Amino acid sequence: MKKNFSNSYIFIYSAVLVVVAALILTVVSVSLKPAQEKNQRAETKQMILKTIGIEATRDNADELYAQHVTEADGYYTFSGGIILPMKGTGLWGPIWGYLALDETSTVVGAVFDHKGETPGLGGEIATDKFASRFIGKRMDSEPIHLKKNADKSNPYEVDAISGGTMTSNGVTAMLAKAYEDYSTLNTKH
Amino acid sequence: MKNTDLIKLPFSKNNPILVQVLGVCSCLAVTAQLKPAVVMAISVTVVVALTNLIISLMRNTIPPRIRIIVQLVVVSTLVVLVDQVLKAYMYDVSKQLSVFVGLIITNCIVMGRLEAFAMVQKPLPSLLDGLGNGLGYSVILIVLGFVRELFGSGTLWGYPVMEKLGLYSIGYENNGLMIMPPMALILVGLIIWWHRSRNKDLCEQ
Repeated sequence: MKKNFSNSYIFIYSAVLVVVAALILTVVSVSLKPAQEKNQRAETKQMILKTIGIEATRDNADELYAQHVTEADGYYTFSGGIILPMKGTGLWGPIWGYLALDETSTVVGAVFDHKGETPGLGGEIATDKFASRFIGKRMDSEPIHLKKNADKSNPYEVDAISGGTMTSNGVTAMLAKAYEDYSTLNTKH
Repeated sequence: MKNTDLIKLPFSKNNPILVQVLGVCSCLAVTAQLKPAVVMAISVTVVVALTNLIISLMRNTIPPRIRIIVQLVVVSTLVVLVDQVLKAYMYDVSKQLSVFVGLIITNCIVMGRLEAFAMVQKPLPSLLDGLGNGLGYSVILIVLGFVRELFGSGTLWGYPVMEKLGLYSIGYENNGLMIMPPMALILVGLIIWWHRSRNKDLCEQ
């Protein structure tokens, strides 16, 4: 405010500032990466265990996972059936989840998560309340889809989230994709 | 202004939420439970204090024409640092705060204090001003988090207080409205009401 800054000063100043900031962030990001990835792996295992009704903490997730879940090519198996991984897009970013099916293609457990859906609206897919709506639904002749005011007795319909239509559509698309994967899996065996 | 005032005033007469009315959005969003409220409070306090200090140290070299950009670079670098550390060492908390950590960058308290104070003051007062405002913000967040978690979920820091007191068995029920953001706004309104009635000089004529 007191001094006059020349244009070249402003250019050099901003360039140096940005390079310094980038350097600091790179160093931190690289040094913290192992700890972050460990957390993410443990979280994935916790999610998978949750679909078959096992509540794991981050510390015992590894152990329980090794006991109960076997990894196969693109899916997982447990004593009562298989667990399908799901990936899709919500309104703001990626959404994903796991669906545990028994031998009759009935859902025994589901879990969903998201990167940045709106808390309280689309973000509700990460709640147990939403995931529990899937239990008892079926993935045999058609995929499960989300619908407003779904008929609870219909095994292929699940109540969508009010205020989270875009996220709900993302979940439906993700389920359709999982159904395809599951069908190809069944024809192979 | 004396250095002690820089710490003291933001607690009451110059509270960032109650008087400056800055940082209200995050205060509604993260206070449904005590734990994220406390973590948000600590994160914001650290970020405000450090950015105030850094910007104050740089203040004579910053060309006024790009000062907002420079402030933003400093703030966002620090916020990304906080976010990365949380992800590595406090993963659950980082998940709960998810989008809000990024929102510290746009927390009006941070930019407000930088523009109003750190750009024209020496480093030590700036650090104290940042700490004071961060703590003033923290107090409100923690009070809200305490009330909302206790009456909304019946727990404190995840500990089932109401259940242990045996209140559910005699017909007590949690208040679902408490965990919704509008209730935070109503509570902040009540606190401001109480605060103004104690500090008549703050009332507008």
